[in-house]
Amino acid sequence: MLWKDRYELGVPRIDRQHKELFRRVGAFLQVLRSEVCWNEKVIRLHEMLEFMKRYVVEHFRDEEEYQKSINYPRYEIHRKIHADMVKYVSEVSKQFEQSDNNEELMQQFGGRLLAWLINHVAAEDQLIADYARKKGMSGNDG
Amino acid sequence: MMDNIYSVFVDATQRVFSLMLNISEISDHPIKSFRCDDEIDIAIDIVGDLNGKVIYRFPVSTSLNMVNIMSGMQFQAVDVFVTSAISEIANIISGNVLTVLEESNIKCDISPPVLYKPDEDREENREYELQTSCCIGTTIGEIYLDIRLNRPS
Repeated sequence: MLWKDRYELGVPRIDRQHKELFRRVGAFLQVLRSEVCWNEKVIRLHEMLEFMKRYVVEHFRDEEEYQKSINYPRYEIHRKIHADMVKYVSEVSKQFEQSDNNEELMQQFGGRLLAWLINHVAAEDQLIADYARKKGMSGNDG
Repeated sequence: MMDNIYSVFVDATQRVFSLMLNISEISDHPIKSFRCDDEIDIAIDIVGDLNGKVIYRFPVSTSLNMVNIMSGMQFQAVDVFVTSAISEIANIISGNVLTVLEESNIKCDISPPVLYKPDEDREENREYELQTSCCIGTTIGEIYLDIRLNRPS
């Protein structure tokens, strides 16, 4: 999963988190798609999934705080998109445990996560940057 | 807007390809029908001020190219990961369409994407008020959209 400079919002803390998220999801996909047998991957996938669950919540919280600080008009819509994704990740994680590490479930999750994250950062998050630029508030959160 | 539904879908596809895959040049032309064995068909139901469905037909080579670009990895065959990623893209294009329709006060909702099997579609031969198919050409392959919509009577 390749990070592209055009994804940057101009808000250093959020951009750092986005890059880290891309790096972590990329590493998750590398393990998920590696040739190693499934049982050997499962422990690493669980660890990575647990980290992502925590990191995604932390990142979404910071991004939403930034949106509030600039009175972003799409805040409620964006917050719901985040909440839906957190719920989805949490449900998949639970199903993964309950299904005794079903591979098909995790491959399905990986494919959706890949497309979702790119679209979210490349499209939805860019609307925040567009608004901040218009208001002359870009890059002011440190 | 209703007469222009074809353009709304083509424009949404172009936006998504540009933002997600960095492919900005696409071409489009209407087609009568499209069917081949080597494809992923994704159906998304639409309900609200318009009712019906859109079927996205992604040839296998186009699908693999899309997933390779997004992941930076090399996928050689379609599996559940590829199908899931392509389904999400169909979902994202449809979401873009809904946003544009809403700007014209046409309110609709979409169902989650599902794999579409023409042979199992009991409504395959149903007639729709707005029915159009198009082929969208990109530098990584073609995709096909089959739009089937009714306005509430």
